[in-house]
Amino acid sequence: MASDQHKALLFGAAAAVRLLLFTAFPSLPSLLAGRVEVSTPVTSFKRLQEGLFLYTHNVSPYDGGVYHQAPLLLPLFSLLPNPSYHPFATNLLYTMVDLLSAHALMQIADSGQAAVTRLFTSSRKELRWSSVAIAAGFLFNPFTVATCIARSTSALTNLFILTAMAKASQGALITFVLSMAMASYLAMHPVLLFPPLLILCYDVQATNMKAAPHAWRFAVTHLRRLSIALGALLYLSKLLTGSWDFLGATYGVRLLLPDLTPNVGLWWYFFTEMFDSFREFFLGVFWLHVASYMPGLTIRLRKQPLFVAATLTGIFAVFTPYPSIADAALYLSLVPLFRHLFPLMRYTFLASSSILYASFLGPVFYHLWIYAGSGNANFFYAITLVWSLGLSVIVGDSLYAALRDELDVERPELRGKEVKRI
Amino acid sequence: MPPPAGADASAASTSGPDASESPSESLDAVRSQSHAPPETSESLWLRRSVILSFWAVVALLGLPVWWKTTAIYRADLPLPYMTDWADGKICKPVFPLRIAVEAPLALQDAQHLIHTTQHALDDLNEFSAHHLRLMLSDLPAPANASQQVVRDEGPTSDEDTALSIRLIPVETGPTPRSHLQPYSPTLDVYYAANQIPPPSSTGSPLATFIAHELHKIFAEEQALLAYLLSTTSGAHTAKMQSLSPETTAELERQSTRAFKYAPTYHLTFSLFTPSSMPSAWDIESALQQYLSPLLESFAAISNFTVDSQVQLYAGFSPSVREPEYDEALKAWTLRKEDLSGFINAAEWPLSPSIGIGPTVNFVLYVPSESQSPLLVKESGANSWLVPQWGGVLILNPVSMAGQNGSIPTILTKDALSPAMHTFSDQLISLLGLPQTPASLPLRLSTLKRVRAASLLFSASSTLGALARLTRALPSIPIPDTVAKSVDLTTAHLQQACDHLRDGRFQGALEHARIAEAEAEKAFFERSMVGQVYFPDEHKVAVYLPLLGPVAVPLVMAAIKELKSGLSAIRRR
Repeated sequence: MASDQHKALLFGAAAAVRLLLFTAFPSLPSLLAGRVEVSTPVTSFKRLQEGLFLYTHNVSPYDGGVYHQAPLLLPLFSLLPNPSYHPFATNLLYTMVDLLSAHALMQIADSGQAAVTRLFTSSRKELRWSSVAIAAGFLFNPFTVATCIARSTSALTNLFILTAMAKASQGALITFVLSMAMASYLAMHPVLLFPPLLILCYDVQATNMKAAPHAWRFAVTHLRRLSIALGALLYLSKLLTGSWDFLGATYGVRLLLPDLTPNVGLWWYFFTEMFDSFREFFLGVFWLHVASYMPGLTIRLRKQPLFVAATLTGIFAVFTPYPSIADAALYLSLVPLFRHLFPLMRYTFLASSSILYASFLGPVFYHLWIYAGSGNANFFYAITLVWSLGLSVIVGDSLYAALRDELDVERPELRGKEVKRI
Repeated sequence: MPPPAGADASAASTSGPDASESPSESLDAVRSQSHAPPETSESLWLRRSVILSFWAVVALLGLPVWWKTTAIYRADLPLPYMTDWADGKICKPVFPLRIAVEAPLALQDAQHLIHTTQHALDDLNEFSAHHLRLMLSDLPAPANASQQVVRDEGPTSDEDTALSIRLIPVETGPTPRSHLQPYSPTLDVYYAANQIPPPSSTGSPLATFIAHELHKIFAEEQALLAYLLSTTSGAHTAKMQSLSPETTAELERQSTRAFKYAPTYHLTFSLFTPSSMPSAWDIESALQQYLSPLLESFAAISNFTVDSQVQLYAGFSPSVREPEYDEALKAWTLRKEDLSGFINAAEWPLSPSIGIGPTVNFVLYVPSESQSPLLVKESGANSWLVPQWGGVLILNPVSMAGQNGSIPTILTKDALSPAMHTFSDQLISLLGLPQTPASLPLRLSTLKRVRAASLLFSASSTLGALARLTRALPSIPIPDTVAKSVDLTTAHLQQACDHLRDGRFQGALEHARIAEAEAEKAFFERSMVGQVYFPDEHKVAVYLPLLGPVAVPLVMAAIKELKSGLSAIRRR
């Protein structure tokens, strides 16, 4: 079949590009791993190596206060040969992770849940890209490639999020819950994706079985399964590290933001300027702000749960405490699934140009601030604002397009006409 | 940073489905919504639940977070109790001193003698808080008529005996006469056998003599304590004796000269010389011989750490006038007003404080051969004391025996002995030891009492200041550590007070020391002052820029929904 050939070709090319970059530029991985745009304190590969060193020397990996990632990554990476001397195995692992993510993305695209769900069928549903094209958009996205070369562990998180989406759109309940649990275990905030994806799962189940299962019972069952899976993962981590201390060092760091290393997000600058006595309050406000989108969007776009999940990943890429370009890469690879919304979007030029502007000027301004000393923190922060603005515009614009699309279905006579808010 | 997506999402979601008109119809739509089809109940429900979900997050999660994180934690402090301490309402320090009398007499006679002496003593005493109590040494304090602090008589061995009086009958010499032992708290009283008062008499020359002697011995201590009471707290002034202005001035001079009490002092002995000679000194054995006994006797009050240094080619600071040669004295002289600049603080390595306690500096200056002997012009003295800093001594080479003017390379222990004696005297006055009486143990125990009382007062007044601060600034947080320190302080103050009342001064000093340290710790707690200069108006500037833009669409949407909901109800 042609599509299979295309897929094999694409995956081969993507793997070749990655392995070529790894081998042709041996210093590139460590250069990228040191970039604040790619590696955050909670995903950095260098910190993972530090944790790994402590772990293999039978010291608690969290003792140094450097490692903030999940404990279960340690046994996985300790199986691989030391990446400082034999990087090939690690490189191969990361390449495989990207290919698996692309595979999951193709499954999502193939399921067609982006445009046609149980309760909603877009009027432009014939407007779509092939799954190979979407996977190519993911695999050759420079942000994805940079994340892979930097060996940031957010690549793993992205893999599990995409797998969860893929399994949800296929109605494979157990694997969905497992990969959801894994993603939440690694990065905590993906747990917010659970409600929309559960609705997606429910819809798919209802379509397949011709008789909708009882909604509440379905929700409670799967919530329980998710808690069991998460509890098992956490308990396993406790067995591995010998105490519950890892909770504070991993999720505590994400919640309380003790490490104010600059990143592409909005939190670090705000909290360097914050009065100490209001710090906790604004931590609460910022986290609630991230979380508050989930119920509203899920209720409003009940009929398009996959779109809600994709939009939430965009919100995560802007408003979480330690975002990196890996989160943006995930969102930007999910957006092409909604090709049918593109004609309705109004600010694509503004959004894409501000993203490009930020991607080129961000490293420059960071260099001016940190190395040249001719700039200051405001330079870099201004660029992260533009970056966030670009992503927010895409999020907001696609939301508008999705709503407009629903309206077109509801009242076909208005199709193609200008709408005006009252 | 206002969330553009959020505003867009909520705005779009509230107005998206129902509010669309073709441009040609939009004018009409604004005027009358006749063309817009009525909202379906489904979209109405949807919109309301979206708004409700945002408000639910705000109300159910946001408000508790706000409440929890901005609440100022104020541990409970016993404020009235603390103020009472500061006002001296809880502890009125008294200093009952036990004086044991050893008399080679029959029990009856001895008791009568003590009785009469006590009477005479009480008549002399003007300061009620300071009270001398006589008792027979070998007896477990029988019912003594004048014993005012009546307690159940337990073993008395745990109380300090301030002084013991030995009555020694003699045949020769003038009687009665007395001798105070310099190195033990003992007063020897010599008397003739016929001076023992007969049981019938109410007064006797011997009793009056002993009373006057005791009064004289403790006069300075009483003055010191009275001065302390008068300066520290207004509540005590009522009952104190009136001090003469001269005494007050003298006491004030002494107290400004002395260091503030610290449990540990650091002593630095420095040898400075403008040339290369002498380059060594036998300081260790000199300190061992001349100073260690003194420091050991202070051990009950304070500890000391000692170090020494030698600094060659140490010049005067340029601002000081060079010494002048005085023909009459045949010596180089420094003027008295230049003494304050003698210490070259910029170049001489005399660090102000090493380690915990304050540093007491002792400077031994050996002038160069061309400028010796070097003396102070007005008085011809060669040493002086710098208040609350230390002492200085100029050791002139001529005064060094056998060297005949040339400076030795090594200062021997013997050459250092005059310097060590001077330094000891200076140390004694720097530590605030009283000048009289002649017996060192008595002076030390006086110092102990004075220090205990002053620590007690200062800890109490710190408590009072903390209580005032807590009342005056309701916006500062009070962590639990402060409450704990306050509790410790009051507990130790109470114990110190009890010990004072029972005459156990060593224990009183130790408890007062802990109380003082804890009170200081509570008062200077760092986290309390963070918000002192944070007025409420600033909170607007903190909350508004972020929360304002978020709140506006939320509030507007809620108001709009409520309005339409109300009108729908009214129409029905």
